[in-house]
Amino acid sequence: MANNTFFNDDWLALQRSYWDNWTAMSRKAMGVEGAAPLTAPWENALEQWWKALAPAAPEASKVFMERMLDQGKTLFQMAESFATPTGGTANPLALWTSALEDLQARFSGAATDQNSAAQRMLSFWEMPLDNWQRMMSSLSPLPGDALRNMPHDQLQDHLKRALAAPGLGYTREEQGQYQELMRCTLAYQTALQEYSGFYNQLGMKSLQRLGSHFQSLSDDKPIESARALYDQWITCCEAVYAEEVATPEYAKIHGHLINAQMALKKRMSVMVDEQLGALNMPTRSELRTVQDRLQDTRRDNKQLQQRLHLLEKQLATLLGDAAPNPALALTTAVPAAAKALPRRKSPQPD
Amino acid sequence: MISINIRPDQLAQEMLDYSRKLGQSMENLLNAESIDEGVSPKQVVYQEDKLKLYRYDTPAGATPSATPLLIVYALVNRPYMTDIQEDRSTIKGLLATGQDVYLIDWGYPDQADRAITLDDYINGYIDRCVEHLREELNVEKVNLLGICQGGAFSLMYTALHPEKVNNLVTMVTPVDFKTPDNLLSAWVQHVDIDLAVDTMGNIPGELLNWSFLTLKPYSLMGQKYVNMVDVLDDPKKVKNFLRMEKWIFDSPDQAGETFRQFIKDFYQHNGFINGGVWLGGREVDLHHITCPVLNIYALQDHLVPPDASKALQGLVSSTDYTELAFPGGHIGIYVSGKAQKEVTPAIGKWLNQRA
Repeated sequence: MANNTFFNDDWLALQRSYWDNWTAMSRKAMGVEGAAPLTAPWENALEQWWKALAPAAPEASKVFMERMLDQGKTLFQMAESFATPTGGTANPLALWTSALEDLQARFSGAATDQNSAAQRMLSFWEMPLDNWQRMMSSLSPLPGDALRNMPHDQLQDHLKRALAAPGLGYTREEQGQYQELMRCTLAYQTALQEYSGFYNQLGMKSLQRLGSHFQSLSDDKPIESARALYDQWITCCEAVYAEEVATPEYAKIHGHLINAQMALKKRMSVMVDEQLGALNMPTRSELRTVQDRLQDTRRDNKQLQQRLHLLEKQLATLLGDAAPNPALALTTAVPAAAKALPRRKSPQPD
Repeated sequence: MISINIRPDQLAQEMLDYSRKLGQSMENLLNAESIDEGVSPKQVVYQEDKLKLYRYDTPAGATPSATPLLIVYALVNRPYMTDIQEDRSTIKGLLATGQDVYLIDWGYPDQADRAITLDDYINGYIDRCVEHLREELNVEKVNLLGICQGGAFSLMYTALHPEKVNNLVTMVTPVDFKTPDNLLSAWVQHVDIDLAVDTMGNIPGELLNWSFLTLKPYSLMGQKYVNMVDVLDDPKKVKNFLRMEKWIFDSPDQAGETFRQFIKDFYQHNGFINGGVWLGGREVDLHHITCPVLNIYALQDHLVPPDASKALQGLVSSTDYTELAFPGGHIGIYVSGKAQKEVTPAIGKWLNQRA
């Protein structure tokens, strides 16, 4: 590959060096306990490369390239977990069991080292959740994940008790609105955590399916590439996902999430409207009333135009004219009516 | 038990190959020219609010059919999917069979369009487009080709105005919205549509995109991008890919009142099957459809499962009813090479036989 702006030999050399070191360290690790943990320098190289190029990339390409980079990382992170340090055929059951235990610990929150491949792989199962958060961020003044890691359980109980107290005094109505906003916020947080929990469970089931898949295949066709492993993994993930999201339980979780988000947004809109009203500015609710009335008027207007046009055609037929040109008929409708107006008016007394 | 034999040197080589292709992809992406929306020449022949009615130019030397073919696309996504690139164009294929092709482009509704209803779309916009063609071309009837949600719109229109439709073609059109394999339908059963529309006004395209992507999240949000690394190191394929990528995420917002009725009447109450869909004071009854019907569905369609489309057969009164099963997916039915060879010529032939 020739040197160019986007891709150069330094970057390749860095990666090559990483892989040489990785191989050497893996061999060493076979005999030396406590070998230094690896922190995926090829990922860092990739990120550095992208940081240097990203400012020059068009927006559409940028988003796309970032997705390719992210998936590239996932692909090789997974392969790293299953690669055999010394070469030769590994016992996939042992590797898989080890990976499963590791991921299990992470799903439950027991393991926390952020640099491991397993920890980074967790984000893969959360793609739909991540997509929801990104989407909601684009539609809301709050970040999509604002409530995700907020402590709940005990805090929620305290808050619910506090929110149950009636508002007092002159501002009791306003207090009530803020209490309602907090209730909606808590409900959304609960729905989001329920949704997030579903994906944690999905991750575990996908791993179990992958294990079953390994066991169902014959041993004369070993998986020899990261890509083959990744593709089989995706197949297992999609199969488990398809089963789980077709259940009535998931439909409820999905519905709760959207309904809770909408209830929260609606409550925010009500409060924004209150503020706009206090400033003597048009509110969203007033604007919608105007939109409804305007659409009613436009609908009536279009129907009247159509009826007028039909009448013109019927009149032309009665007068024995050829079929009128519709384009002309529509444009001549206004002058014809204008001419008729004074004649109708003239017999009437002022 | 299958063995895994990924040696570090193999993995290193694979990683280097991936990196190399990634670099080349980036270069090809940066060198890609701007992306057009549709490739066949066309003219605006009627315009109303944000709607544009296009007529596609007849190929030189060809005499178009006397009966115009009006394509009614979905409100979801943009209609240039039907004309996405030179060698993948349903429009081009239809023109080649002698059809006089018209297409409704709904545009991008904004908050001012929030109160547009399903009745406004069916008995308003579509009917005025049909009226325009009837008068302009001095014909009694038009041929309709409805795509996906546009197919449902075409069914409603034909049921309410059977005297204006000569032949009806539906492509990947949902009719039975509650087949067991319809995930979108299952998911929407517990969604409070009134709350969503009252809150948002219009329903954002991003929300619909999220729903579509979560049908197959690991393939559509993950694997697809790994596969692309293999494709995008070829500069010729980059532009085609970008066109498709642009289309996928080019999702107009949905006019709130239309969305409210469409989801409640069809996805929640299965209105074509159970009845109860009222537009402009009249109930939509598919039994009123008596014209010839060509119903095309895709066997691997994950958005509109085949059974959802096939339900049409028992609901219309047409004695001339034909089905065409395409071995592909919801998008492949327009853009795959196989579709260009099989689906579009079949539509043209079917229409010409009933001209």
